[in-house]
Amino acid sequence: MKELVEAIAKALVDNPEQVQVRAVEGEQVTVLELRVHPTDLGKVIGRQGRTAKSIRTILGAAGMKLKKRLTLEILE
Amino acid sequence: MPASFVRDGRLDREAAAAEIRRCLDTILRCARFHLNYRVDIAPTLEAEDLETAEIAVNFDGPDKPLLLERNGDLLKALEHIAVRWLRLEPQLHNRVRFDCGNFRASRIAELRLSAEVAAERVRQTREAFRFQPMAARDRRIIHLALKDQPGVRTGSEGEGDMRQVVIFPADAK
Repeated sequence: MKELVEAIAKALVDNPEQVQVRAVEGEQVTVLELRVHPTDLGKVIGRQGRTAKSIRTILGAAGMKLKKRLTLEILE
Repeated sequence: MPASFVRDGRLDREAAAAEIRRCLDTILRCARFHLNYRVDIAPTLEAEDLETAEIAVNFDGPDKPLLLERNGDLLKALEHIAVRWLRLEPQLHNRVRFDCGNFRASRIAELRLSAEVAAERVRQTREAFRFQPMAARDRRIIHLALKDQPGVRTGSEGEGDMRQVVIFPADAK
């Protein structure tokens, strides 16, 4: 699922080479930590957080299939 | 930096459709969604046509229920990401529409019907009617459905997730 967040983030930002995703695996939850270039933060968050919310929705659905909770944290 | 899919204010449909396929193939593969889709490019487009988008994507497959859960959340999320992926300006968002079966089409029919019923009530009572808060794309359907209706005018109030369409009697302040 790290690949999923990475692929989406890279397509949305101006500095794809600066996209980093780290998966922190827990027993029931996997936290995906996304870092982007500071000027790209708005691109992955979106107006009123809609882009971040959309990525979380996609992750949530993917997690349901894996019976795992996937959480996205966008780190500043 | 991806190529621009807009030339002289118009969407380059073939190029945009190809990029949407790239976007969806990537997401569906990574997320392991069992969905297939068809991309249709509209041959012509009327200025403010409600029913046809320039690029229409229709999904099907075993994960269809997942797509339509919670009022089509995943369907809308995929559409939002695809539009951001193409870097379309906000005014071009409605040129791309994702649907599954008749989910979006029946939502549009429902909104237009609600708009007409509410407008009739406003004409009769001469009192403003407020819809529940809804997304910009849904508000747009209501505004467009009523733009030529006599005796009423529409506006929007509130911010963010709470923004709602209001129908006023045409002569109200």
